[in-house]
Amino acid sequence: MLARSAQGLYWMGRYLERADHLCRLLRLQAEALVDRPIAEIYNGWNRIYSCLDRQPPGSGPDLFPGNDGDSNAGMLQVMGVPGTAAWQRSGGDEYTLADSFTLADDLTFERSNPDSVWNCFAMGRENARQMRHCISAEMWRSLNLAYLRIQQVDILDIWNASPEAFYVEIDADIDNFMGVAAATMYRDEGWHFMQLGRYIERAQLAVALFLAQTELFPPDYTGASEGSESDWIVLLRMYHAVEAYNRAYSVEVAPPQVLDLLVTDPLLPDSLCRSLDVAAAELTAIAPGPDRGSDAAARRLAGRLAALVHYDWPDTNDQRGLLTRLETHCRELHSLVSAAFFDYAHARPAMP
Amino acid sequence: MSTPDRFQDYNLDERVYDEMFLPAGEPREHCQRLFDALSDFSGEQLASVQERVTRSFSNEGITFTVYGDEEAEERIIPVDCIPRLLPKAEWDFLDAGLTQRLRTLNLFLQDVYGDAGIVADGVIPADVVYECPHYRPEMRGFTPPQGTWVAVCGTDVVRTNDGFRVLEDNLRVPSGVSYMIANRKATKASLRRLYRDSRVQEVEHYGRLLQETLLELAPDGRVNPRLALLTPGVYNSAFYEHMFLSREIGAELVEGRDLIVRDGFVYMRTTTGLQRIDVLYRRVDDDFLDPSVFRSDSVLGVPGLMDAYRAGNVALANAPGTGVADDKSVYAYVPDMVRYYLNEEPLLENVETHLCRNSEDLEYTLDNLDKLVVKRVGESGGYGMLVGPHATPAERAEYAEQVRADPNDFISQPTLDLSRSPCLIEGNFEPRHVDLRPFILHGRKTRIVPGAFCRVALRRGSLVVNSSQGGGGKDVWVLQD
Repeated sequence: MLARSAQGLYWMGRYLERADHLCRLLRLQAEALVDRPIAEIYNGWNRIYSCLDRQPPGSGPDLFPGNDGDSNAGMLQVMGVPGTAAWQRSGGDEYTLADSFTLADDLTFERSNPDSVWNCFAMGRENARQMRHCISAEMWRSLNLAYLRIQQVDILDIWNASPEAFYVEIDADIDNFMGVAAATMYRDEGWHFMQLGRYIERAQLAVALFLAQTELFPPDYTGASEGSESDWIVLLRMYHAVEAYNRAYSVEVAPPQVLDLLVTDPLLPDSLCRSLDVAAAELTAIAPGPDRGSDAAARRLAGRLAALVHYDWPDTNDQRGLLTRLETHCRELHSLVSAAFFDYAHARPAMP
Repeated sequence: MSTPDRFQDYNLDERVYDEMFLPAGEPREHCQRLFDALSDFSGEQLASVQERVTRSFSNEGITFTVYGDEEAEERIIPVDCIPRLLPKAEWDFLDAGLTQRLRTLNLFLQDVYGDAGIVADGVIPADVVYECPHYRPEMRGFTPPQGTWVAVCGTDVVRTNDGFRVLEDNLRVPSGVSYMIANRKATKASLRRLYRDSRVQEVEHYGRLLQETLLELAPDGRVNPRLALLTPGVYNSAFYEHMFLSREIGAELVEGRDLIVRDGFVYMRTTTGLQRIDVLYRRVDDDFLDPSVFRSDSVLGVPGLMDAYRAGNVALANAPGTGVADDKSVYAYVPDMVRYYLNEEPLLENVETHLCRNSEDLEYTLDNLDKLVVKRVGESGGYGMLVGPHATPAERAEYAEQVRADPNDFISQPTLDLSRSPCLIEGNFEPRHVDLRPFILHGRKTRIVPGAFCRVALRRGSLVVNSSQGGGGKDVWVLQD
């Protein structure tokens, strides 16, 4: 298939996965706003921004005089830290809740934020629009309708009614799109590139979230961790894993077990090992790219990534170290795929 | 006769042909069924028909791109839900006339890039041909596959009380055919019963005919020739159409950057390496096709493409250089060409045209600016023209200066009373001016689907149907009997 088309479908898969992931995070955060303690809400925003490697809007040195600095690098600064004098002065609860509005807007609709749900969705849809001839008519229709719906709302529309309902809807739109794709798309290379993009993105986002989570709440391997049980339940809910966890372990939530399940359960549709297995399998289904060196390296790396979670994770003493390696490898895999299939130097023509 | 309420403001004007009504106010025979159906609809039903048609365009993302100051905007072409009907006999006449015309134009192109007998025989002046900016000396001595210079043509036809007239031949990269099909799909789905009862001829097989036509142009001996459609890219206003057609004809949708020329063959970059292309349906203008031959600043084109083309290793549709045959000055000579090449009388007439390059015509034009439409030879899309009767004296005076400064660049035509067709405007039926763009395909033979993109000047009183100038579209139903 045309290299540029394959690239467009690959990015369509990536962007929609990114929009989906952020929507699910925001949905859980929007739910937390109703009944969770302020500290947990604060941690929730931190987790999201840290996972995106993004600074919240309006954060600057003058806004957090009470912040004790070094340990909070990358932390949410705009709200101040709950419990500190600065935070008390600024109005506590009220302040945090009002700020949540700004943060949700930044993450959902902000046009200048390349990672906002709106932008990821629009980019996914734009790639689909340019590659419309490579996807099924039903896929385009389902995505375009969802896009037209998002176009009609802004943060004020969703905030006062039920923000979580909005995120649930977008999440469902993307699930629906992927379902329509599974039901209608021709299984040519376009399909495999779309899936490859989607699962590389999914793996990369999961690794980033696990790194953010373990930075906020370092587990101590006695089963305890900083943060409350519900800080970890959020992670299970994020990946549709609550029931699986209850069945495999117990209703009591132990952070190391949460991570083990999310990383290694092959039956869990969102588990890291499954994302990496699927990515490797999709790559196998794609015919060798013209840049044979990058092609072979990409295939080896995809295998190594899967092996790291299957065979290294259960025995490692340094989960964060392993997650960091996985994060680097995911980026490398993306570069190798681009070099092998999309941006290759002109090879010799096939026989005319 | 008692007209229902929604036709009460429908003004008939004896100077203007009405597509639905006879001058006395009775519906034309072939429109009786449509008239009855429209009269039976309640206001809500009509609104819902229109709403479904419009929504179908937005849901399907059938858009064209408009460039504003800040960013490009995807817009939906306004579509009127009331179809324009053509009886079979009228269509058969158009079909024959359009076929004759395209045959002639292909012969003309072969001639002017060859021995130019038509110039030698004094039928058309040499300067009209050779000074035309779209004449490509690079094409001299070349014969395209099957002698087909124009494989895809979109001819603008208008109707007055005197009958059908060709307003313009579009022989370079005509667009609009996707709207013909989209209008049909939307209108058919919204007027289901009426459509079934009306026995309308199909248009949705256009893609198949286009594919057959293009494959007939493939280099000799190629088994399973590969088609590609060359688009300027997603920012082109007709991108939707490019995408749509590539899908219909099973072609890769490529941009210039996807193609490279090696050893005289054209290849596209695929995920498994380079693959040869046999036929390129190009929707990029001549100027931008090959920077090593035409405009060197083109980033849309493919260096070396013309070499591959001249070597016969790839076919281009349409051939470069066809613009000389749809030039507004050359247009005036098409009826003479028909007589010259085919020894037949032209079936479809031209609009009376004055070439300002001739001094009598110039004088006539300047004396009658208030009655004429004056156009620049090199412009299209409704740009750069003066509609005399609708212009202020000051505008006419200013335009006259431009004409005097460079008469060769202008032609004038009488202001035509384009026929009108009923449109649904704010819940009532009102007449609006329309034209007709049928699409004619020519490979080894001529193929035409019985239908057209009908453009509508939706602004009251406006004669300009171009979508860039506030025009819309409607479906055309060619009836089976």
